[in-house]
Amino acid sequence: MTDNIIECNQVCKIFGGLIAVNKVDLEVPIQSITSIIGPNGAGKTTLFNCISGFYTPETGDVFFEGESLRGKSTDVIASMGISRTYQNIRLFSNLTSIENVMVGQHHKLKETWLDAVLGTRRSRKEEKDSIEEGVRWLNIVGLRGMGNVPARSMPYGAQRRLEIARALGSNPRLLLLDEPTAGMNPQETLEMTALIRRLRDEFGITIILIEHDMHVVMGISDQIAVLDFGQKIADGTPKEIQSNPRVIEAYLGPGGAALAKKYSKKG
Amino acid sequence: MKKSEVRQSLNTGAVFGIIHIFCVLIGFNAMMGSLLVKIVGQKSDLSAPTVASLVAYAILLGLFAGIVSARRQHEASLAKRVLASLLTGVVLSILATALVGIFQLLLTNHINPRNTFPTLSFPFMKACLFKLAGKGVWINFFIFLGSTVLGGLLNGLWDLPTVTSSRKNANTWIKNLGEKISGGSPKVKKIKKYAFLGLAILIVAIVPVEWGSYWNYVIGTVGLYVILGLGLNIIVGLSGQLVLGFIAFFAIGAYTVALLNAPIPFNIMLGFWPSLILAIILAAFTGLLLGLPIMNLRGDYLAIVTLGFGEIIRILLKSDVLTPFTGGPRGVQDIHGPMIFGHEFNDVNYMYLIIFAVLLAIFVYNRLQNSRSGRAWMAIREDETVAKATGVNTGKYKLLALMIGAAFAGLAGAIYAARNQYTGPDEHAMMASINVLCLIIVGGMGNIPGTLLGAFALKGLPELLREVENYRMLVFGALLVAMMLIRPEGLIPSKRPIRDLPDLPDENQSQEPTGAAVQAPGEQAHDR
Repeated sequence: MTDNIIECNQVCKIFGGLIAVNKVDLEVPIQSITSIIGPNGAGKTTLFNCISGFYTPETGDVFFEGESLRGKSTDVIASMGISRTYQNIRLFSNLTSIENVMVGQHHKLKETWLDAVLGTRRSRKEEKDSIEEGVRWLNIVGLRGMGNVPARSMPYGAQRRLEIARALGSNPRLLLLDEPTAGMNPQETLEMTALIRRLRDEFGITIILIEHDMHVVMGISDQIAVLDFGQKIADGTPKEIQSNPRVIEAYLGPGGAALAKKYSKKG
Repeated sequence: MKKSEVRQSLNTGAVFGIIHIFCVLIGFNAMMGSLLVKIVGQKSDLSAPTVASLVAYAILLGLFAGIVSARRQHEASLAKRVLASLLTGVVLSILATALVGIFQLLLTNHINPRNTFPTLSFPFMKACLFKLAGKGVWINFFIFLGSTVLGGLLNGLWDLPTVTSSRKNANTWIKNLGEKISGGSPKVKKIKKYAFLGLAILIVAIVPVEWGSYWNYVIGTVGLYVILGLGLNIIVGLSGQLVLGFIAFFAIGAYTVALLNAPIPFNIMLGFWPSLILAIILAAFTGLLLGLPIMNLRGDYLAIVTLGFGEIIRILLKSDVLTPFTGGPRGVQDIHGPMIFGHEFNDVNYMYLIIFAVLLAIFVYNRLQNSRSGRAWMAIREDETVAKATGVNTGKYKLLALMIGAAFAGLAGAIYAARNQYTGPDEHAMMASINVLCLIIVGGMGNIPGTLLGAFALKGLPELLREVENYRMLVFGALLVAMMLIRPEGLIPSKRPIRDLPDLPDENQSQEPTGAAVQAPGEQAHDR
């Protein structure tokens, strides 16, 4: 259809009387990094959930590579090539980290339960290959040599990275990252931004991320969309967003734009 | 000693004292004691136990209390531990002595408390006083006090530096010995492995012949419960669906073989082997049927629905309407078992069959748990929503788990019915489902050694302790409570396998974040 990997078309999501996402249009070009920002409760994660199939939008539609995602369950959407991570880390905490990544590879693998019981050559080869690929992903996210560590006993930053490795396990074309640098120290944040860039440049993965750290957002985004009270109030390049008065107002309240101008003059 | 430590020791004494009083009031001391003296080869009657058995019980309880009390003083000196156990001992002895003091009063005044406490007969109370009347009260006091202090002393000695070092030496010696046995070049290792395997096969082949039919029956039952446990472990332990009516699948396996191989009601006489395969398929199919409506249920709701399913199967088997087809409450009798060389299976043959079935179940379970399907199940157990969003077709895998688990139960049920030559609806009551669930919880959810141990502990031990039949459920309940407190993950907690991971070169080195490149745009944003 177009070069856009994902197109949200007038997406609405309503919880009771609350319109969490209100007629949002979003177009994400292939191999770009798009950030979604906005104050707390703006509907960023809800939009993510609409894209990854957790919610079905009331009206509007989401197209992935030209194909509508309406009515598709999360596992189908995942096997189409969309992976995601979660705001509050949700790993399979009693499994080791390599097993987490191998669960991520699930839909690519062909082995059935009967293959496993009979121990066919195909299943053994596939298992070996999948371990090797899993180790490669772990190395890429920076978890070298931690393959046999149970996910629950890993430090916080490592768990965030493992979540990304699990998402990468399915060889996605679109990766949704929900606050990937939340709770990280500056050094870890730096590594994370480098990783996100590398995923785009080296593996050609399109990335949409929700992020609160403006350094990260302004640094790596090709495109930024700003949500407030469920509506998209602005989109554009980082430069455009920084000078957009509506965005500043959404963050700082009415009159915020003038205030910001005053301070930036002083600075 | 600090005040808090003193209080802790006194508390321990009080707890043990209350446990002791409770045990005496239900006659548990007599039972424990008679088991103890039985080991030495003496006999003891529960209503009028021998003095030796009660002394043995008292010393054991005292030692236990002393060790517990001393252990609570973390890393304390020997003297401190003994002091702690002394305090504990005083409280325990006072409570124990008060109890026998009351017994003495009741005895001298000829008051019979059996209306309220059925176990407290005159001979029983006399035995509690060691048949010494008034003196027995004091002897009770000193036995409890002495054994508690001894327990504390033993605990202290156990942790003395010299003892710990020799313990360590012994441990390393055993470890070295183990390595010596298993070690060697790959070729030698292989030979050793086959030799070990051959030895194991030899033992398995000989033992059922030598054992006699009673042992074959007991261990055979344990074996069938191992299969059941493994089946339920696939459903509960791996895929995390709390299914309570599991025994229904067992019933379906049993009734399939029964109805196809009994003269009444149908007289089909299909033969054991085809009906065994049919039983497994039917059980798996029932698993599928049950699974379809409950696919979207989780946790408590799933438990209740499957509980209902188990009861429905049992009541259907028992119902008057279906009596012409199922034999009703009387069950199905005279089931013909498998034939071998023109002879009916005897208990040794059944034992071989069960051993083979157990090995098959272990093999299948082991292959599955480390496969793609096994990982999908565990992902569902850990977080179903995320598993689905990671690309696992959760509905399909939940059904698969139910079907395979049910097939295990069908296999066990089929052998069970043929071996007993009878099956009836009451063998498949809810308690049996709970038993299987307890077995895997006690043993350790989701692993094979745990299931084996659980089956032996819950099915084998009660058979061995026939005389404690009355206390079985009491001990059972107490065991479960204690287990949940002490080892919430079961006797053998599940561990994830350590995989042999290839050590690939780290591609990150060349791509190390350069800092400046990332920082620069960020700084811009800051300076706006």
